[in-house]
Amino acid sequence: MKSPVSYILPLLMILLMTAACRKDLPQLNEPQDYVSANFNEVFDAFWTGMNNNYVFWDIDTVDWDQVHRTYKPLFAQLNINDSNDVRKAYTYFKQMTAGLVDSHYDISFADTWLADSNSVNPAFQRKRASPDYHPRISIFHFYDTIPTHYLNAGRRGFTNTPDGRQYVAVSGTINQNILYLYFSGFNLKTLFNTDTMNGVKRVEQYFFDNLAQRNDLKGIIIDVRGNGGGSLDDLNFLLGKMVTQPVHFGYTRSKLGNGRLDFSPWAPAYVTPQTGAKAITVPIVMLADAWSISMAEMTTMAVKALPNGHFVGERTWGANGPLTGNKFYNGGQFSTGWLNLVYTSSLVFKYIDGNVYEGVGFPPDRAVPYNPAALRAGRDLQLEAALSLIR
Amino acid sequence: MKKQLLLLATFFLLTHAVRAQFEIGVSGGYVNNYVHTNAGYRAFTQYYQYSGFVAGLVLQYRFNEWLAIQADPSYIRKSYELRRDHFFNGIYQYNLNGYLQLPLMAHFSFGGDKLRGFVNAGGYGAYWISGRVKGAMANVFSSNPDVPDNEQASDYFRYNTAYRYDEKYSFDSRRDRRMEWGLVAGGGVEYLLHKRFRFFAEARYYYSLTDQQKNYMINQVPRYNDTYVLQAGCLFNLRHLFHGDAQ
Repeated sequence: MKSPVSYILPLLMILLMTAACRKDLPQLNEPQDYVSANFNEVFDAFWTGMNNNYVFWDIDTVDWDQVHRTYKPLFAQLNINDSNDVRKAYTYFKQMTAGLVDSHYDISFADTWLADSNSVNPAFQRKRASPDYHPRISIFHFYDTIPTHYLNAGRRGFTNTPDGRQYVAVSGTINQNILYLYFSGFNLKTLFNTDTMNGVKRVEQYFFDNLAQRNDLKGIIIDVRGNGGGSLDDLNFLLGKMVTQPVHFGYTRSKLGNGRLDFSPWAPAYVTPQTGAKAITVPIVMLADAWSISMAEMTTMAVKALPNGHFVGERTWGANGPLTGNKFYNGGQFSTGWLNLVYTSSLVFKYIDGNVYEGVGFPPDRAVPYNPAALRAGRDLQLEAALSLIR
Repeated sequence: MKKQLLLLATFFLLTHAVRAQFEIGVSGGYVNNYVHTNAGYRAFTQYYQYSGFVAGLVLQYRFNEWLAIQADPSYIRKSYELRRDHFFNGIYQYNLNGYLQLPLMAHFSFGGDKLRGFVNAGGYGAYWISGRVKGAMANVFSSNPDVPDNEQASDYFRYNTAYRYDEKYSFDSRRDRRMEWGLVAGGGVEYLLHKRFRFFAEARYYYSLTDQQKNYMINQVPRYNDTYVLQAGCLFNLRHLFHGDAQ
């Protein structure tokens, strides 16, 4: 009879040999750490950053592995010290990202040879090529035409901030009992909480005072047409004053690992009532258009989730994912040595109806298209449609 | 017809098994699972081991005094934790993964008549049957009141409140590889009582050769289960159970 050792030893050999079948763990490096001495490194930094940090791989139709196979050899042929090659690289960046669904997406370049080039913004390129494309409604329409033609009384003002931005706001009443608010960007809370008075704060004060004190209001119109978005804090700051119960309007999720499909669970998104909030039961109508972006869209979605919420205007831009620093939610925007910033959402937003409207925009329940002729004549058909919903 | 065939097969197996030194038993124990992967450059984020349990049957077919073949159809929890620290302390996720597993091993035993040592070595197949995720994350749409000027924030939940969840894991067929193959080795002691019962205690190690994810992306970081088990159980000798102690 054979000894047990004669069985055990071959078995152990087989086990040890099979144990070597595991794949090696690749070393993943921070995109910022790649040295931009040549285009091989520039490509790897960007491709890796996108591979691990982009939050829409779940729904995006761009084949990122195919991008690697196609463009890595092309970048390898370029010389980073040749201005023609730098221009060619710019074109490649445009091509690689053209189909990305993230409508916040924007690449800005650090290379001085590209100082005169626009940032790469795929959503904007798509919009401009669309037959429905139109420019933003002029800020003077909101600042001059609406107060002159529609408002009975009210306030208007603007504030310039140290970062070079200008915020414009208008509030007033229409037909004495419909409260109207327009603002060009979401920085309401910050501007309201400044120690000194400013133009936007004066308008906000007017709006909030009317909201709190008047009981004869027949409706509220919040106009975010042309509003490029901004601070997430403004959602509760503004809508939280109009509800006394939390309003569930969607979900967010973030990256949870390095894999393209590694996500956290969906966390519910709520509008949280603020101290001194008043339950508004009259119609609240959001006016939004194709230039309503990000927070302007999320605010529209939140209002639409209210039983008395309406949305009049056009399908919005389609950039719904909240943005913050990469480290906070382990994903989203990043930089490389050669790219100033790859500006991309930190989280995916899903509306309460289960749809992700990223890249497609949120549809109005009453569509009123942009009408330049009417605007030139001093008429605002979208605003008039909102008024007809209230009357 | 099917029922009759099943009865016939069971009868044949039992009688054959009795002749062939077949032993059947139960076992259960404590599991500590590590996921062999890395968190790359994710800020303040690491994977950690997480405990679980195993419970199942033990089927042993003895060829002679020292050699047997053993199969342990069982349910095993191979879980792990993803946890953030420093300012992100409190953000974590337990991935509680349940597998139906079938280790098939050569069983070598040695020692005296009553108390014997043994070594198991072989391979296993496991099917990832269920999953649950439990944890806490910051909810971007749920802000806490602003930090007053004379105070400071101790962690990220001071800004965004924690969303705590405990929900069923949704498998993603593009990513999740649910069949797992691997190697298993273990050792322990067994004690024979009245020739009918064999009690054992064993330490075992499962080494997965299968990435938990399909190959769905370039530069994918694989995830392999490394599972440590401390278990105990009892085997019943069918021959002695049905025919007393007669030889």
